[in-house]
Amino acid sequence: MFGYTFRWNQALQALPQMLDGALVTLQVAILSMVIGLALAIMLTLFRRSDSRILRGFAVAWVEVARNTPALFQIYMAHFGLGNFGIHLSPFAALLAGIAFNNAGYLAENFRGALKAIPETQARAGRSLGMGSLQAFRLIVLPQMLRIAFLPMTNQMVWAILMTSLGVTVGMNTDLAGITQELNARSFRTFEFFAIAAVIYYLIAKAVTLGARLVARRLFRY
Amino acid sequence: MKIKAITIGLMAAAALAVPAKADKLDDIIGSGTLRCAVVLDFPPMGSRDAQNNPVGFDVDYCNDLAKALGVTAEIVETPFPERIPALMSGRVDVGVASTSDTLERAKTVGMTIPYFAFEMAVTANTNSGVTSFETMKGKTVGATAGTYEAIALEEQVKAWGEGTFRPYQTQADVFLALSQGQLDATVSTSTVAQANVKTGSYPNIAVVGKAPFDTDYVALFTNREEYGLINYLNLFINQQVRTGRYAELYEKWVGGEAPDLRVPGVYR
Repeated sequence: MFGYTFRWNQALQALPQMLDGALVTLQVAILSMVIGLALAIMLTLFRRSDSRILRGFAVAWVEVARNTPALFQIYMAHFGLGNFGIHLSPFAALLAGIAFNNAGYLAENFRGALKAIPETQARAGRSLGMGSLQAFRLIVLPQMLRIAFLPMTNQMVWAILMTSLGVTVGMNTDLAGITQELNARSFRTFEFFAIAAVIYYLIAKAVTLGARLVARRLFRY
Repeated sequence: MKIKAITIGLMAAAALAVPAKADKLDDIIGSGTLRCAVVLDFPPMGSRDAQNNPVGFDVDYCNDLAKALGVTAEIVETPFPERIPALMSGRVDVGVASTSDTLERAKTVGMTIPYFAFEMAVTANTNSGVTSFETMKGKTVGATAGTYEAIALEEQVKAWGEGTFRPYQTQADVFLALSQGQLDATVSTSTVAQANVKTGSYPNIAVVGKAPFDTDYVALFTNREEYGLINYLNLFINQQVRTGRYAELYEKWVGGEAPDLRVPGVYR
């Protein structure tokens, strides 16, 4: 083809190393999702609050998170904060960047999901003697999470793929980082990148399929 | 009569088929353009001037090569990790990209004889307490991903058994992280270290000593099977030294006495 002979056996020897990297990738993605979810629920509450400052804060977060590249967000978490003497390790910077991004997108998903839940439900809860937060927690939140569940799995897949941006802030233990390093040593670019692509694909596919199974069990009517 | 016609036809076909065997050297001369992969965030070997034009030792070297071939040079900016994809996908003809000639890499690309040699220097953040190569032990150190010094430094960190190694994608990011204190020290080629300290755009950094790595000989590279071109490149490098052009370029971009490109005690 283009004057390049594929040598798979050399690349496949590095497979265990790459699978270790895939575990780190998954770890970052899951952590970023957990943190992102908590932050997104917080932002959703802020948006519904009466305080203009809290509402403004939530809107600003969502605007920046959704309208700037994830690469920029991760870079800022490392080098931007570094300028002010706050030093996040590559792992922490990558996690912070993706969690920030996740929170913004998930908050927007939640906003849409909330619109689908009739106002009267919260009011019915209040009439049963629940407080405002109680009604939100027990009646609105479970329905919101159910409606937003599939968009959430989308975000999870996106988070997995975003971890590959960690190489820009010196991350060398995740799948992308390890792939880059193997490539630098041996110059077998195409084999290593092809294997990495397959691993990313399989992880992402497993997440979507898993989520679909979970959804079928959890959300039976 | 019929046989004669067929024979003539075959001969014509054979004559037409010959140019298809042209090798890369022919292709470059035929196309009139030499496309060089050059790393442009690696001063003084490659960088951009105030007008955003590529300048540096590698840029001049590519221009010299194009002149020798009688073609025009085209500088293709190529970050370190993208040198091989650029060559394999046919975007460049030759890498003039300060590429260390490791045996591992030579399994994939064709390396010429060395055209430049680097010595490695330790640059440290002035608040880190790193004053030499040995005092880097246990610290957070980094280098540009995919370079000779990054591979050597990472192995050294593993051998020390303490401290952290971080690869960054560009030389600029390494010095930014170093200046912010995210890295305590880095190992880079001494030419790069001095050029970056001299710019003054990275406060709190200083070159503190030499790194005891082997001399990093760097080669031009092209496709492994292009012997014709590799032969030409070898002779070109030889001529650059013979005519004093190598020393002249070294004086222009680095200064001082140009390093010897020969390894004592062995052929080639």
